[in-house]
Parts: sequence; C-alpha cells; structure tokens
Amino acid sequence: MTTTPRQDELGDTDVDLDRPWNVVVWNDPVNLMTYVVYVFRKLFGFPKEKATRLMLQVHNEGRAIVATGPREKMEMDCFRLHHHGLWATMERA
Amino acid sequence: MTGPFRLVAGHIELTMNPQEADALLAVPQLLESAGVTDADPVAERLNQTPYPDDREASGEFRRLMAEEMTQSRAADRSAFSLTVEQSPHGVTMSVGEAEAWLRVLAEARLVLAGRLGISRDGWEDELSDANPSVALLHYLGWLQQSLAETLEESLS
Repeated sequence: MTTTPRQDELGDTDVDLDRPWNVVVWNDPVNLMTYVVYVFRKLFGFPKEKATRLMLQVHNEGRAIVATGPREKMEMDCFRLHHHGLWATMERA
Repeated sequence: MTGPFRLVAGHIELTMNPQEADALLAVPQLLESAGVTDADPVAERLNQTPYPDDREASGEFRRLMAEEMTQSRAADRSAFSLTVEQSPHGVTMSVGEAEAWLRVLAEARLVLAGRLGISRDGWEDELSDANPSVALLHYLGWLQQSLAETLEESLS
C-alpha cells in the first residue's frame, strides 16, 4: 500500500527522537471515578464527556491513552498525573 | 450536593466536627514518612517512573523530577495544614488551596491502601471499617468525592 519506509527502519536517531509518545493511565483500586474525571478535565482541559469516557476506559479495560505528543511534554504530563496520585506510564505512539 | 464541601462565591467551604478535624490534622504526618525508604510498600506507587521497563530512562526521569515532586508535595501538605488549622468546625479555602487538598487526600488514600495491602477492586466489601485505617480510607474517600464534585463546579 505504501512505499515509504517506516521511520524506525531508517536507522536515523534524530528522526527517532521526533517520534511521539503516549501517556497511558492505568486502573487502580483506590482513586475514585469522580476524582479521575476531575483530574483529566483539569490537567488536559477535556470536556466532561471525553474525561468520563477515558475514565471508564481505564476502569473497564485497565488502561487508556490520555495524551500523545513530544517526549518532553509527555513526561511533564506524567509528572502532573503522578503528582495527583494517578498511575501513569509512557510508551511509543 | 450532599457532601461536606460547598462552592460559595468562588471559595470552597468545608463543614466538619472536631473529631474529623483531629483525623485531618494527622494526615500530613502520615505522608511525611511515606515512601521515603524502598521498604515501604507504597514507595513504588508514590515514586513512580513513566518507564517501568527502562532502568536508564527511569533513573534520568527521577534525577530530573524527584526533587520537584518532593517540593510540590511538601507545598501541598503545608497548604493543607494551614487550612485545616483554621477551626475544628469548618474551614474556607481558595480553589488553589482546595487543589492542594485534593492531592493530599489522594496521596493519603494511596498510602493507607498500600499499607493495607489493597491491590484490586472490591476491597470495600472485604475490609471491615472496624479497622481505623480502613475507616480513615473511607472518610478521606468521602471527602475526595465531595471535593472533586465541588471543584468540577468551579470549572464550568
């Protein structure tokens, strides 16, 4: 379908550094649903419906991607989620 | 809205009794020692890394962010203490102070739950609140629920 090589096949670390990252929030048995919705709205500016959908995805599927972007910015998002007591990790987008 | 927090003219009010105020006054002390040593069961949860499978990236993240996290949490605890000391019957706080409260409540619940060995959903039906730590976990949850609902009002 495409002849463009994937970035990771180019072997170019500069290109690799530009690849976006995902912030993943994981389910935990302690933080309340209302609180998680509020944190998503506050930190990411999501409307209530989107924040609620993501919270339910975390609750039902165990995880949800809540942000995608440059590594440095995603690390700051992770930091802010950790500061609010949510369980968050990074993965390559 | 039936919880103890209320949004009043851009401020947040909390109604409580002296027994509740005593319980809240003890929370910062609970948090100061939490996660300081790796032997603490909540250490991993409090000192998270975004890269659980990458030791090098985790070390770099901690090197850059650990001090800021320590300072941010200390500032939250300080704001919490100053507010809760206002009166044993009820207190008034700014939205910013209420945000600090919310983080302190979340951290305290993680610490209590970690030390109780809670690791999966459904613990509410399994653990008796005759245990003071379980009772405190429920009480702080009731506050977390009410405060998150009240702060959400301030967003819209």
